[in-house]
Amino acid sequence: MEQVASQIGIKGIREGLLISVPDRGSFADLMALLNVELAQKQAFLQGSQVALQVGYRKLDKDHLRQLQAVFEQNQLELWAILAEDPSAREAARDLSLATRLSGSQTDLNGNFLSQMPEPGAATAVAPQPPQGGLILKETLRSGRSIYHEGHVVIIGDVNPGAEIVASGDVIVWGRLRGLVHAGALGDETAVICALELNPTQLRIADQIAISPEEKRGRTIPEQVAIRNGQIVAEMWQK
Amino acid sequence: MSGKVITVTSGKGGVGKTTVTANIATALAMMGKKVVAIDADIGLRNLDVVMGLENRIVYDLVDVIEGRCRLRQAMIKDKRQPDLYLIPAAQTRDKMAVSPSDMILVCDELRQEMDYIIVDSPAGIERGFRNAVAPADHVLIVTNPEVSAVRDADRIIGLLEAEEKGPGRLIINRLKPDMVARGDMLSIDDVLDILAVELIGVIPEDESILVSSNRGTPVAMSGSNGSSASQAFRNVAQRIEGQTVPFVDLTPKTGLLSRLNNWFSKS
Repeated sequence: MEQVASQIGIKGIREGLLISVPDRGSFADLMALLNVELAQKQAFLQGSQVALQVGYRKLDKDHLRQLQAVFEQNQLELWAILAEDPSAREAARDLSLATRLSGSQTDLNGNFLSQMPEPGAATAVAPQPPQGGLILKETLRSGRSIYHEGHVVIIGDVNPGAEIVASGDVIVWGRLRGLVHAGALGDETAVICALELNPTQLRIADQIAISPEEKRGRTIPEQVAIRNGQIVAEMWQK
Repeated sequence: MSGKVITVTSGKGGVGKTTVTANIATALAMMGKKVVAIDADIGLRNLDVVMGLENRIVYDLVDVIEGRCRLRQAMIKDKRQPDLYLIPAAQTRDKMAVSPSDMILVCDELRQEMDYIIVDSPAGIERGFRNAVAPADHVLIVTNPEVSAVRDADRIIGLLEAEEKGPGRLIINRLKPDMVARGDMLSIDDVLDILAVELIGVIPEDESILVSSNRGTPVAMSGSNGSSASQAFRNVAQRIEGQTVPFVDLTPKTGLLSRLNNWFSKS
């Protein structure tokens, strides 16, 4: 058992934890292995989001549900299955689990993750931004940078020269004149809202937009989102 | 008696920190206050030139800090104002010759006998800026009505807030009212809109400033018949003293026709 347990690898990645398990042995052995390993390290790991690397192991939906349950018991959230076997990936997608990491295909150690999306396969499914948002009740002046995994709310202005990078949405209760990147880990559904929208640049996922040249007289709340592959600003009130 | 330390800073270079320092120190001295101006721009000293005291320098700030002279020996008495002094910067050293705690020590000693210690900060946000801000009770931020200067002032205000030196008070220097009226220059409101700090002075662009700086006679000295900039500097000094002084109306005088035009374009 000792020898097998050491085959479980756990490391931190940008999205949370990457847990890799051996792709040989029966599924029952794997479950037993995970149960022991997670229970031992529960205090240290709990609350994390987990991407599970299963190699060439064949897994169906029922297996995946059991894996989800095991992580849940140990207060971990399974959000991605990194599998070499196409049917296992298919099953994971059916359970709305991600099947690859967003952005770069390398982990924090610089190791290249082997699985690449097949042509035509579903594109990257971004991890759900963590529930916790960041609320700042201050004006961000030039030179300030805010990086946050999740949503960011600013009660105050965002001045030119300040920047906010968030994996979720960005709400500015004030004047937005700096740079904001929402959905920075690839979430194209992220939005940016501001009471007065006059940014130097806006980014959502991998799209970039700049304000129109002419100075706009109106100062009304607006929301920015990706519509048909383009960043557009819409009036808050139609 | 415990004097107040006021640091003049800007972030961007060339916006008029040294001119503002010399003139406010002069104006406060003319009001009967005991004032010392400190040039914290080690290696690039200017304040002595603008105040016309260059040829009297024997010891400088670094000499004081490194113990080569007593503080009193480095204080150069002004030519015209009896209670105005200058502590010049060293010309041959760099910013690392002084530490923030050195500045606090020097200023604490000066507080004993002075009403105001005005520190002229170097441009930038590095060691020199930190030295100048370390002893400050109040900070005056100088900016010009142009986008890059306002951007740097904004950065400075952020740094001051982080150091808990308060947001500081703002001086808008080199304003050209006619250009503002034409919409070619940021207006006072445009600047305040971004920086959102208390305004303590607006100095109009004035050729007499350049002339007086070259002569080493701060423009604030030119008495009540002086230029508009001269009056503006004296107003700042009075506001520092806690007096309420209305801001001089800098809008250019307009005829009836253009006023009507303005009125129509507003509505």
